[in-house]
Amino acid sequence: MTNYIVALVLGGFFGFSLNKAGLTKYNKIVNVFRFTDMAVLQFMMTALVVAMSGLFALRGLGLITFPAIPATYVAGNVIGGLIFGVGMALTGF
Amino acid sequence: MKFILNYIRKEVWSPYVAGVLLGLVGIAAVWISNSLLGASGAFENLAGLIGKAAAPTLFDNMYFNFIMPPGITVSVILLVGVFFGGMVGAATSGTLKWGKKGSANSDEQWKRIFGAQTWKRWLLAFIGAIILEYAAGIAGGCTSGLAISGGMLLAPAAFLFIAGMFASGIVTALIIYRKNY
Repeated sequence: MTNYIVALVLGGFFGFSLNKAGLTKYNKIVNVFRFTDMAVLQFMMTALVVAMSGLFALRGLGLITFPAIPATYVAGNVIGGLIFGVGMALTGF
Repeated sequence: MKFILNYIRKEVWSPYVAGVLLGLVGIAAVWISNSLLGASGAFENLAGLIGKAAAPTLFDNMYFNFIMPPGITVSVILLVGVFFGGMVGAATSGTLKWGKKGSANSDEQWKRIFGAQTWKRWLLAFIGAIILEYAAGIAGGCTSGLAISGGMLLAPAAFLFIAGMFASGIVTALIIYRKNY
């Protein structure tokens, strides 16, 4: 039960940050592919840098263990990414 | 304090500030519940739940039995949180409006490229969403579940996915926009 409450709160902050970064808008998403508005990349990379430095620091201190990391299967990841990009540029989700 | 409150009311934050917030949420997800953020998996869980009830034999396959077991999982609850979090975000910037005319197709840039009709927006959103979810199924996650959550654990899969996503996204945008690119 606590798991669900935690997920609800985390999801809330997740949605909030997406909304405030403007990623709920079509033009923000598609303009990153036109190189006219790099907000998506700035947002994603900032989140990545903050999270990866925090997580690796916490793991170094022995406070957390990592969950199973997403599986690597090169063909699947790349082909999935290629199809995903088409949908993303079409709809802006 | 007043500065912070005013900043929360802004409609569009600096992507760096919002990115830091998401990064902290990502850390919290691993620290508190040892899980990763993700969105596309929840739809598969729900689709499996509906499919198992409606057409049990069709959905009795390896994918829905083992890889994406159906049910109201944590990621489904997370997605509910995302929905309400997005609403709170819109409410704080005063852009949350119920049933406003034309709000289903309000993006000026979209209208310029594809046309002002709402049904076009809905149709393309539906088709695009099918493409997105199918691709997420192949790759093992979407922008949030694989690219961001996997990337912060330095999973190679995440960076392969980001590379593929941008390569085809740029090509698709080139095709759609042609001269206006």
